[in-house]
Amino acid sequence: MIRLESFLVLSAILFSLGVYGVLARRHAVLILMSVELMLNAASINMVAFAAYTSPERFTGIIFAIFIITVAAAEVGLALAIVLRIFRNRTTANVDEVHQLKW
Amino acid sequence: MGMEQAWLIPAIPAAAAGILILFGKYLPRKGDWLSVLAIGTSFVLFFFVLHDLTDALARGGEFTAVHSGREWVRIGSFNLRIGFQVDQLAAVMLAVVSFISLMVQVYSLGYMKGDKRYGWYFAVQSLFAAAMLTLVLADNFLLLYFAWEGVGLCSFLLIGHYHERRSAAEAAKKAFITTRLGDVGLLIGAILLYRSVGTFDMSTIFDAARSGQIDHAYLTAAVLLILLGAMGKSAQFPFHVWLPDAMEGPTPVSALIHAATMVVAGVYLVARTMPHFQVVDGTLVAVTAVGLITTFMSAAMGLVMTDIKRVVAYSTLNSLGLMFIALGAGSVTVALLYVFTHAFFKALLFLASGSVYHATDELEVTQMGGLAKKMPVTAAVFTLGAMSMAGLVPLAGFWNKDELLLSTFENHNIFVYLAVLVSVLITALYMTRLVLLVFTGKPRNEHVYEHAHEPGPAMKLPLLLLGVLTVFAGFVVFDGVGRLMGLPGGFGEFVFTHEPEVFRINAGVTASSILLVLVGIAGGFYFWGGAAERAKAVGEKMPQVYSLLRNKFYMDDAYQWVIDRVVLVVAGVVSWYDRVIVNDTGVNGTADATRFSGFLLKFHETGLMPNYALLMTVGVVVLAVIAFIVGT
Repeated sequence: MIRLESFLVLSAILFSLGVYGVLARRHAVLILMSVELMLNAASINMVAFAAYTSPERFTGIIFAIFIITVAAAEVGLALAIVLRIFRNRTTANVDEVHQLKW
Repeated sequence: MGMEQAWLIPAIPAAAAGILILFGKYLPRKGDWLSVLAIGTSFVLFFFVLHDLTDALARGGEFTAVHSGREWVRIGSFNLRIGFQVDQLAAVMLAVVSFISLMVQVYSLGYMKGDKRYGWYFAVQSLFAAAMLTLVLADNFLLLYFAWEGVGLCSFLLIGHYHERRSAAEAAKKAFITTRLGDVGLLIGAILLYRSVGTFDMSTIFDAARSGQIDHAYLTAAVLLILLGAMGKSAQFPFHVWLPDAMEGPTPVSALIHAATMVVAGVYLVARTMPHFQVVDGTLVAVTAVGLITTFMSAAMGLVMTDIKRVVAYSTLNSLGLMFIALGAGSVTVALLYVFTHAFFKALLFLASGSVYHATDELEVTQMGGLAKKMPVTAAVFTLGAMSMAGLVPLAGFWNKDELLLSTFENHNIFVYLAVLVSVLITALYMTRLVLLVFTGKPRNEHVYEHAHEPGPAMKLPLLLLGVLTVFAGFVVFDGVGRLMGLPGGFGEFVFTHEPEVFRINAGVTASSILLVLVGIAGGFYFWGGAAERAKAVGEKMPQVYSLLRNKFYMDDAYQWVIDRVVLVVAGVVSWYDRVIVNDTGVNGTADATRFSGFLLKFHETGLMPNYALLMTVGVVVLAVIAFIVGT
């Protein structure tokens, strides 16, 4: 039997990778992928807790399904924004998009 | 239809007022007929209630007031009722209010014709009738206070009916603010009683007061505060200054509100709360003192004023003071008899002076004279009213003055009795003076004299009816007359404090009263007969006294000085503090500081997403570390 802690460690590693990706990558699409990694880490957490602490209830699993749904919608929206930025500025490098100020 | 349905009496004018305010201008004749019809219906309903009341009294036994009404608000133990009660006291007030309202509204049909706010005038008249009828029927202090403010509002609106005229607007404001000073007292007094007994219901509070449940000092404070409310509404010294100025309103309004009904609300309140005044020693002395001062100041001022309506207004103050003296003697009977008869002859005096004004457009008696020839009916009823006010036998005013003298003779010390006798003399003097100056002698202004004419039928009818009542209303003191009307007996057996009072005549008291009235009238003829040269000579001989009286004892000036130099200065400081410290510094200052710091900080933005993401992450990590340390 695999212990709950192993899942939590996996989730933590995935989340940290995601954070690192968001902070270190410069390409918008890669940042988005890192965000997906963080979301998935959270999903693993949910499912693991659901299976180990209260298997008779589906709360955690339903949460995971919601996270997947929201993530899909978010990616759809974010990719559209990235596409518009690329059309406008011929780059998807976030360092070169610094118009978000006064 | 009986005493349980008494709520209909105020409800009908209230409904009429609502309709008139909302839709009055779409109705034919702007709805004046609706207003008259409503108060007429109330007046008819009053007889049903009276009949039921006399039936209940005839059945014998202990009569207690009949309560009706319904619950309005209940929050926990707090219970607010729209409750009405009918007893003898309420019945007398109902008779006065509904009848005088009806007369005044009929009179107004003629007097206000062509006024540009004709419909509005009748709407407020209806509202006033509703509020005043609620006031006399209320069985708890909160409903009474509500109606109390309602009549105050109507008084304000009607005094300021010609608010384009600055003096009218100022007079309305003065009346409202001055009476408010007293009203606050009434409200605090009622709340004090509520805190002590736990209810606003009057009869419960009276029982508690009688049985000594309420702390004595506490009760004294409450009673004195209620007295303050009564003094404000009834224009007693030192609040009397608003009443003469209230004459700026249309004359029928002065007749209704500032003579017959609203200003006696204070007398009614003291009569209604008489159980309190009797429990607390000394409060009745205060009532008497207030009444005495008011009586004397107003009688003295009535001698020198030259505005016909103002002289009548000072005579109203005079009468109100006498009513307070009667209450001070502990006699509800005498005070209510005074309210009852006074309503008829004082309304008559006002309506008659209104028809003089209507015909001549002149209020100054110095411009009048000899008008009796041009308007004999008005002159006759005015003289009747004036003589009744003076207390000439056997007009209505005589009986209440006689009862008052008797009751002061028996219940007060001799000083009060003599003071009232002197006021009888002065009243006879200045009422005679007014009649002589307006209606006899040579016309002082040909133009005014030319214009004078008798009023139309709508105005004449109330004058004649009130004239008849001015002659006969006083006879209700006799048992025979009372029984003829279906009452258990004379007025004293209908309205009383503890036990019925039988009408008596003390030969000495009555003789001295009649003698003094005759001396007063003769004195009036002596001083003001012909060209009034003797009175002028007296005025010139004592210029200080004359100017003191003409300037109303300088009390208006003193109040104005206090308002200008004290009230407005303090208000200025407070408003400066509010505007500059609270608003500009406290509220706007915080907002400005936030906006300015935001303005400065925004130039440090890079606009680079990774910077924001890094800061966010670092922030979360730092918070997590702190939570971890603090948590363990």
